[in-house]
Amino acid sequence: MVDTKKIAVAGAAVVLVAIVTVFASSYMSDFETSRAPNTEDEFQTLELKQAPVLGSKDATVTIVEVGDYQCHMCKLWFEETRPQIVENYIETGKVNLVFLDMPFLGSDSTPASEATYCADDQGKYWEYHSMLFTYQEDEIDGGWANANRLQAIAFNLGLDIEQFDKCMTTDDHYSRVNYNKQVAVTEFGAKSTPTFMIINSVSGEAQRIVGAHPYSTFENIIDSLL
Amino acid sequence: MKNNFGTVYSNPSYILIAIGIFFLLFVPLIIISEFLFLEPFLVFSIYPETALSFSLIVILSLFSSIAVSMNIFRVKLIKETKKMGSSIIGTIIGASAGACSCGPIAFSVIATFGTAGSIASSFLTLYEIPIRLASIGILIIVIFVTTKSLSHECKVEF
Repeated sequence: MVDTKKIAVAGAAVVLVAIVTVFASSYMSDFETSRAPNTEDEFQTLELKQAPVLGSKDATVTIVEVGDYQCHMCKLWFEETRPQIVENYIETGKVNLVFLDMPFLGSDSTPASEATYCADDQGKYWEYHSMLFTYQEDEIDGGWANANRLQAIAFNLGLDIEQFDKCMTTDDHYSRVNYNKQVAVTEFGAKSTPTFMIINSVSGEAQRIVGAHPYSTFENIIDSLL
Repeated sequence: MKNNFGTVYSNPSYILIAIGIFFLLFVPLIIISEFLFLEPFLVFSIYPETALSFSLIVILSLFSSIAVSMNIFRVKLIKETKKMGSSIIGTIIGASAGACSCGPIAFSVIATFGTAGSIASSFLTLYEIPIRLASIGILIIVIFVTTKSLSHECKVEF
């Protein structure tokens, strides 16, 4: 007769080993791709010049944030670290910020990214971006970023709803969001959100940060790149 | 109960096992939960919103180390693995919660399993705190039962 106790313990051990293996492989592959590009050429494919920029376009340092609007750690970074960076570096003209979409967490992630570019068509990209993170809820695909809510955010920002709806229903920016996702994965080697690339636009020197690091990490790296 | 703890941990080997299990669980958990960053340099950070999650990781790791080390002691005495299995299951449940936020594990799971992976990741993230609390509950029961059984089954006289 099969000993169920032994099977339970063996099963638990297998699950534990599987969890450790998945963690280790994910973590180690992250190290393998943590190479920071050193030349400006490597960033040419990013076409960041077309992306909405927060801050001065002439800033010495650019922070590229790879994120998903349904990511909780992105929201945490948005609320805890970003305001200090905006105050000390972006508003002083030393740094600018670019957001690169990597929607992967749920089916509402891509429409949320598309909506930001539909808002950008009416000159309110960053306002819409901020609203999404401000009103993000815990549940992924829980309805907080469905079509109605995206439209409500547009309404609250005073956007032309007819134009916004047309933009969303015709998927005007779907290919752009998809392209951004591909760039995030292939060029940045991003495997999680948020991932940041901090780039000195003059020297091409760059440093990658994975995760919602505290302000001190950004302060150290930005100061070393300025 | 206090005397049973004393019996187990009077042997320094079990203190070392408990400390080892604690760090074996605690360090990976605070890395995947993004409290500890190894790159680009070593950074430890707790935001006010994540203080509860960090506290639960500390408690979970502590109880797991006690439950597993006490059960190793017990298994060596009576060769019965029932409660050992329970403590490992309790530990795994707690460790899984929150591991799938938006980190590399979630990315791997979603990339591999698609929508099913996304739902699983979402569930583990949404119910991180209740799952960890349930896990801690299981471990408390395991510790309590193990301590009692050490008195009866192992016939430890006090």
